[in-house]
Amino acid sequence: MTKTVVVIGAGLAGIQVSQQLTDLGLKVHLVEREATVGGLSSHLGKVFPTDDCALCLDVCEDLYDGKHRRCQYRTLLGKQKGLAVHIQTEVKSIKKESGKYSVSLKTGPRFVSEERCVVCLECIKVCDVEVPDSANLGRSSRKAIYRPFPQGVPLVPVIDIESCTKCGKCMDVCGVDAIDLGGKAKSRTVKADAVVVATGVEERDPGPLPGYAYGECDDVLTQRELARLLDPTGPTSGSVLTASGKTVKSVTMVLCAGSRDLNAARYCSQACCTYSLKHAVMLRELGIDVTICYMDLRVPLHSKQYLSLARDLGVSFIRGKPDHVTVQDGAPFVSVEDTESKKLLEFGSDLVVLASPLIPLAAKETQFRNMLDQYGFITSPKGIYACGTSTGPTDIPTSVTEANSVALQVYIDLGGA
Amino acid sequence: MTSSRTSSDLAFREWILQQPEGFTLLRCYQCGRCTSACPVAAIDMSFNPRLFLEKLILADESLAEERLIWTCLTCEQCEVRCPEHVKIPEILVLAKVRGLVSGNTPQTALDRARAILSQGRTILVSEPMLKTREKMGLPDLGEPPTQQLIKILKDLGTAERVQSIESRYGGVGDE
Amino acid sequence: MSKSIQYTYFPGCTIPFRLPHFELTMREVLKKLNVELVTDEAHSCCPEPTTFPGVDIEAWFTVGARNIAVSESYNRDTVALCSGCFHTLSVVKHTLHSDDAIRERVNKRLKKIGMQATGEVAVKNILHVLHEDIGLKRIAKEITNPLKGLSIASHYGCHLVRPIEATLMDDAENPRWMEDIISVVGAEPVDYKDKMACCGAPIGPSDEDKSFKITAKKLRKIADSGADAIVLICPTCYTQLEMQQKKALEYLDPDFNIPVLYLGEMLALAMGMKDVVIENSRRYHRVKIQPLLEKMEAGE
Repeated sequence: MTKTVVVIGAGLAGIQVSQQLTDLGLKVHLVEREATVGGLSSHLGKVFPTDDCALCLDVCEDLYDGKHRRCQYRTLLGKQKGLAVHIQTEVKSIKKESGKYSVSLKTGPRFVSEERCVVCLECIKVCDVEVPDSANLGRSSRKAIYRPFPQGVPLVPVIDIESCTKCGKCMDVCGVDAIDLGGKAKSRTVKADAVVVATGVEERDPGPLPGYAYGECDDVLTQRELARLLDPTGPTSGSVLTASGKTVKSVTMVLCAGSRDLNAARYCSQACCTYSLKHAVMLRELGIDVTICYMDLRVPLHSKQYLSLARDLGVSFIRGKPDHVTVQDGAPFVSVEDTESKKLLEFGSDLVVLASPLIPLAAKETQFRNMLDQYGFITSPKGIYACGTSTGPTDIPTSVTEANSVALQVYIDLGGA
Repeated sequence: MTSSRTSSDLAFREWILQQPEGFTLLRCYQCGRCTSACPVAAIDMSFNPRLFLEKLILADESLAEERLIWTCLTCEQCEVRCPEHVKIPEILVLAKVRGLVSGNTPQTALDRARAILSQGRTILVSEPMLKTREKMGLPDLGEPPTQQLIKILKDLGTAERVQSIESRYGGVGDE
Repeated sequence: MSKSIQYTYFPGCTIPFRLPHFELTMREVLKKLNVELVTDEAHSCCPEPTTFPGVDIEAWFTVGARNIAVSESYNRDTVALCSGCFHTLSVVKHTLHSDDAIRERVNKRLKKIGMQATGEVAVKNILHVLHEDIGLKRIAKEITNPLKGLSIASHYGCHLVRPIEATLMDDAENPRWMEDIISVVGAEPVDYKDKMACCGAPIGPSDEDKSFKITAKKLRKIADSGADAIVLICPTCYTQLEMQQKKALEYLDPDFNIPVLYLGEMLALAMGMKDVVIENSRRYHRVKIQPLLEKMEAGE
């Protein structure tokens, strides 16, 4: 009988390991908690080292030339036989009984049928409810029926039932009867021969980190939030604006805002130096001045061009870790020692962007409790496999490579399909 | 990093690393957050905690001769913000101790030390002070057992050292 | 509660002999709360933490450990009203506990006078006693004259709070225990920028100019918050922020005037013991507290 694998998390690593296992002939259930796949990569717009957009290429059928390339960009998720994608689904429990896993799943109601919907989006047009879009810094609004990201897969809208007034306008306008406001959650149990955890990471909330005024000043952002501003499909259509709507002319970046820090995350988050440089280059291309305050610049070989480009484009570098950000006349001012000149500097800019640590999502769930190391990353899976940033913060190429090797390992351990 | 008078003394650095909080010195990776956080550095840029740590890491003993180290408030703001929890003010204290032999100590510090070692108090208690306490109905605190202090500090030679040193900085009035 | 709770009182030098009104007011407050402070003549100077360690760190540990040994001979917790004494005793205790090498060295010396220190005794400051041991509910019962209409800024001071692994306070950057007590006495606790900023006193002996620049910065930030008064615990901070307030004026506006109360004075006023505060105010307060008392009367 064909072996079955449950993969938890449809971020880039989860998608990759699922695709590989399906290609190898196994049956895969790919479980994703959010309304769309992609994980953290959905928020990022351009990703390094190729500056491609992670989402577009993830789902674009036009680029499929009949041959699979072993990278995250050729996914065609849901089109393969043997790969079942469960969206808006949480893992309630994982039990092991006589060598097989029983994974109990709960799929929350989307209220819009994935089979029937033709993505005409008329329902979104007629909805009267508008709420701030928290994924986009609260700077834009969305309807109660919405799509989290324009290219997010599945393309079908989802309803935020808490904001929904149940007026029924969307149901009335839907030409294919895809909407059911009375939808209910569904539970099921999947039996699997192996489980792969690919739950990934999120950016740590910089609020508790002392001194940087995050939350106090609306123009102190994280790198992920900056990525939303730079994304043409983001809340400001790609314009970099302050919270009050002013065009940004200068940005100061603080690297290691919480990483390698006994007061926050003790480890290096591996990818943030590079994506900060990536953003710095994008900002310079928009004519915005950029100053980067760093302790070290950790850039992998495959992305060293970002550092040379940043230097060539005139990004200012200050080697020093700022202690505090103060607000003066509404603008954020950074105080830092330039350790090379030994001078204490204090200067203002329109935006301050913090490179906040990447913290594991698995640490928040009870079922992974005894597999985690001191930082919350999966270290001793005890028969369960793990890949991607769930095992430690890293960049996309490394995540995908790890997913490839884990797929092969699962195949070998299970004795083939 | 270069200074005109650099002397390297590994014994001094070894001694620092053996003290209860001195071993944290080697955790420092010179990020500079301490200098940026320091309230003294904010009014005098030449007071640079990161640079002081750099000197000690490099076993530069000349720091013990600098007057500046006595302008550390010991407020520990640097320590609270330091990502490696380096015990910065405590390490500067060790440099101060090293500097005693050459008189790099404020007069007030010497005066207080002498009072503690000879009277068991920093303040020389006067009759009026005792009378005030009595009037307020506060208990008599007696005399500290100074003989005991002499006995337990004998092997350190603190009293002799403090008696013989002259402050380089002359008499600065106490509060 | 009929039997009073006893603490060993570590007196230090500055409070008993320079600012005895600290000891007087707090003893009266604690009496109302059924707490007794018991002294022992065998305690010496703690030793003073801002300059003595820089003269001889090992001597500082040793003399401090002797004081700990004296405290350990009783079956009670020790409380120090002075922040400097508290800092010394709690750091020495913490180090004795955690560093085997120094505990051995120090105890070798203490053996010569027949003493040993283990670091087991609990060393507390007045906020531990008031906020944690006695509790706000109990204190609230004794408030007869709430300080309505007064807004008060709290100054914790560096040595009371840091290093937190030794002082065991609630937070190294934003402690809240004094604000809770200010609320309990009926006044409004006021937040201000950089509440943990140092008063500047420790470097007075080495560089008076810098010392007062730092004091001025602190006072200005408190003034910007609009507070009617400052409440504090440390006698050295008190000397710097209250008695030297006019001297720090060189860096401030000449009409600057903000009264400073010791925590014991604030509690005494709210517990109906106004007289003990007023009797001593002329001698120990250079910044007049009369306007504050008037505002208090107006609020009643």
